[in-house]
Amino acid sequence: MKIVREALAGTQESSDLMVKIAPAHGELEIVIHSEVIKQFGDQIRQVVSDTLCAMNVHQGLIIIEDKGALDCVIRARLQSALLRAADEQAVNGGALK
Amino acid sequence: MHSQLPIDFRQTIVAQHPERLSQIRYLLADSGLGLDNDITLFVEAWSGSQLVGCAGLAANVIKCVAVNEQLRGENLSARLLAEVEHAALERGHFHLFLCTRPCNRERFARSGFWPIAQSGNNAVLMENTPQGIERYCRSLRAKRKCGENIGAIVMNANPFTLGHRHLVEQAATRCDALHLFVVREDASFFPFSARLEMVRAGVAHLPNVVVHEGSQYIISRATFPAYFLKETGKVQQAWSEIDVLIFRDFIAPALGITHRFIGSEPFCDITRQYNQTLHDLLASHIEVVEMPRIKATGNAISASEVRRLLKTQQFSRIREIVPDSTFAHLEAHYRASAEVA
Repeated sequence: MKIVREALAGTQESSDLMVKIAPAHGELEIVIHSEVIKQFGDQIRQVVSDTLCAMNVHQGLIIIEDKGALDCVIRARLQSALLRAADEQAVNGGALK
Repeated sequence: MHSQLPIDFRQTIVAQHPERLSQIRYLLADSGLGLDNDITLFVEAWSGSQLVGCAGLAANVIKCVAVNEQLRGENLSARLLAEVEHAALERGHFHLFLCTRPCNRERFARSGFWPIAQSGNNAVLMENTPQGIERYCRSLRAKRKCGENIGAIVMNANPFTLGHRHLVEQAATRCDALHLFVVREDASFFPFSARLEMVRAGVAHLPNVVVHEGSQYIISRATFPAYFLKETGKVQQAWSEIDVLIFRDFIAPALGITHRFIGSEPFCDITRQYNQTLHDLLASHIEVVEMPRIKATGNAISASEVRRLLKTQQFSRIREIVPDSTFAHLEAHYRASAEVA
């Protein structure tokens, strides 16, 4: 999946997160800010990289502002933002688990 | 997903609902803020029938963010900013800037904004990406030139006059390479593309001059935190400082700039103050070289004089104070058709 435009998803509500995505040539840069980074930083990073991997994203700028969201919320917000940022209309259901 | 109180968000397009501004004005005044007239959109937060928060958007700059005192600590400003970011993206602005007082810096830093430069206790400029200025510097570093003396000039060139050309020529003789930035913001009489073209044509004979398209980081609407300081003098000062600090701490190191050349400013107070700020803040980092303006028929040459002459179609007098390349552009685009015929 190729990121061709800038996109947002989510909110800054407690238990939610905001995802910002922008195209970037030849590099994948992931920035994670979280209120619970100390306790769950590794877990959050794992969810993010798994989701990117499942959706076959290898370049782009991914900024995440987490307000303590559950893993399923992180995954859903990230997927929404990626779908908005990508040039593909067809959704691969298997990747969106 | 649950907040303490039910808050409804609403967008107000300023041009369509000017009557809604009065409440916003009160809310801003409570926080010691004024209302900037370049704001096109407000996101409002309502608790029942009370306006409890607002955030304004002027192109890609967020300003006039205020939250009712009783609701502070509820994460409302972060929610407001998120709403503004969505609204801005709908209008094609993803990369956003935000000006605020330094006391709010931490609060906005928790909402996805990164500081770029700060002017004392007056103002801090932030952007909604952690690598905006970094990425810009990387692109600049690719245009680095070798040499001991590397100069820089920033000009609006509205339009490019003999005065501008003189400044560039003088600076170029004193440098191994000279980086010339043309202000990008389209707020001048001549559009950016025309100004850039006139500059390129006007310095084409100087082999060691590199012409750069300006950016958000050099004299732009973003680097102008004008709204929250009441006294105009303070406003200009804060604006000048932020702009000069970005130049000093990011742009100059990226290009290895050792000298900044400026023209003396006999006419415009803002530019004169900006020049003074350059002297003050660049001292001991970068040498500031202020050059006197050249004169034509007794008066210092200025771009505003060219615009004045253009209004009254005085092309023979314009010819005396602009290079041939600029004159050709002006004649082609601005000479009244009746006169051509």
